[in-house]
Amino acid sequence: MYEEPYRWVEAVGNRRQYLDEQFKQGSPVVALTYEGGILITTVSKGTPKLYEIYDRLALGGMGHPTDLEKLRFSLLEMAHVEGFNRSPSDVTGARLIKNGIAPVIKQAFEEVYKAPFIVRILVAELGQKPEKDALLTINYDGTFEEVTGHAVLAATTAIQAKMLTYLKDQQQATLTLEQALDLTLRVWAIGSLAQQQAEADQDAEAKPTASGAGSVAAVIPSRDALIEHVRGLAGERTIECAILERQAPGTSKYRPLKQAVLLRLLPAALQSVVAH
Amino acid sequence: MGMQGDFYQLLKEQGYALATSGQVGTGHALTNATTILAFKYRDGVLVAGDRRATAGNMVMYDRTDKVLEIDRHSVMAIAGVPATAYEMVRILEHSFKYYRRTQLQELSFDGKLRAVSKLLKENVPAALAGTGAVVPVFAGYDLEQGSAKIYFYDILGAEFEAVEYAVSGSGSPTIRGILHYLNTWGEQPLNALPEEQAMVQALRLLTSAAEFDSATGGVNREASLYPVIKLITGVGIQTVPDATLKPLYESQVVRYV
Repeated sequence: MYEEPYRWVEAVGNRRQYLDEQFKQGSPVVALTYEGGILITTVSKGTPKLYEIYDRLALGGMGHPTDLEKLRFSLLEMAHVEGFNRSPSDVTGARLIKNGIAPVIKQAFEEVYKAPFIVRILVAELGQKPEKDALLTINYDGTFEEVTGHAVLAATTAIQAKMLTYLKDQQQATLTLEQALDLTLRVWAIGSLAQQQAEADQDAEAKPTASGAGSVAAVIPSRDALIEHVRGLAGERTIECAILERQAPGTSKYRPLKQAVLLRLLPAALQSVVAH
Repeated sequence: MGMQGDFYQLLKEQGYALATSGQVGTGHALTNATTILAFKYRDGVLVAGDRRATAGNMVMYDRTDKVLEIDRHSVMAIAGVPATAYEMVRILEHSFKYYRRTQLQELSFDGKLRAVSKLLKENVPAALAGTGAVVPVFAGYDLEQGSAKIYFYDILGAEFEAVEYAVSGSGSPTIRGILHYLNTWGEQPLNALPEEQAMVQALRLLTSAAEFDSATGGVNREASLYPVIKLITGVGIQTVPDATLKPLYESQVVRYV
């Protein structure tokens, strides 16, 4: 039935709709460069969402854990074989994404007989110099984007844009790890609140009596309100942070921030939720 | 699919071969021209190697590093054909990283040992042909058990645990006897030596090896060439800088009569 071009376009459209639905409950991911490297933060539920890919590469993801695992393994495989056959400095995020997994994701997305990957991926790459730090994001349809400074993943592009606007507003020239952690959590909260709002709006649309659903979203919550939002969720979820640290000894620069480190760095209001 | 997280298997699937099998017995016997040693001291394990690389009578290079770090808690000291040895170290380094990153846990110490044996076994054809024999000493800190460990191998991949110390290379017969003597009748056993004394003994041992073995480099003060000495403890690996070795050598190794 998909042989006709129109049917195919329609099928791909349906797929987009189906996939967008899948991310509604997902946890946003925020990556940010700070004075010592790159920080990635999420507040995950159940399975971890941040991983080490290679000496200077980290991965953050949203979506189906099994699909994420599958792509994580392809990335690891490609990175290590390349690092062994050529050299570790030839393993770059751009090559892994653009020539490696992006075509695979795009193909799976467009082959309407097969299951697509339910994932959004963020790859952070620590350059030899700070100005070479790169962040790459890739969507479920294989579209990728390469940016510097900061990047986010969230349920919809509108929410991502909202998070980025907040980030640009709040970002200073150089951030310490502590400041960066505080900021990424607030940006995460912006995303998480917007996702909740979007779901509420969708429910409201179903019930015609609700009014003024759109207006609430326009107000930017205060700093405390954002941290409070994270605190409210941190009981059932885990604050997950990892850094690519330029000064780390040895070749592997990836380091997940352990509980003890988080306790020291987190804003005071959040320390109690990590302590238990 | 194979075993999960096995990097060497992955390489093989892509057509990689470590050893190219030559005709058995055609090669001439290659000496393992070097001296490497490892012994347990008070805080962990010390691994040392001279820096000379030879081909027959020729000194090829005087700045070789034969004590190679594989990960944060293990090193392999190599005697034998450098080309194969370096390749093995590269495979091991990537294997341990790949395992850690895919499986989200460290490979156990026993798993690491097994990986070394496996590579040596794969390399048997080249070893027998005389083109690729490697006789390594593998040393590290087993974090699970909280103890330092030393293993040595023959060219076929048999693994032996050294209780106190292990040596390999052409200069090793000389110092094996000294190590035995020191450990049995010395002022204190090797495993009670504090860090500084352990370094002094390592320098003395390599100087003795160089005295009787032309393929061992020893210390070359004029060129400021000191052996490579690494200390492995629970915290990780520490390479002893020349600046530390120099005064130790001058005050406690050189004989002022």
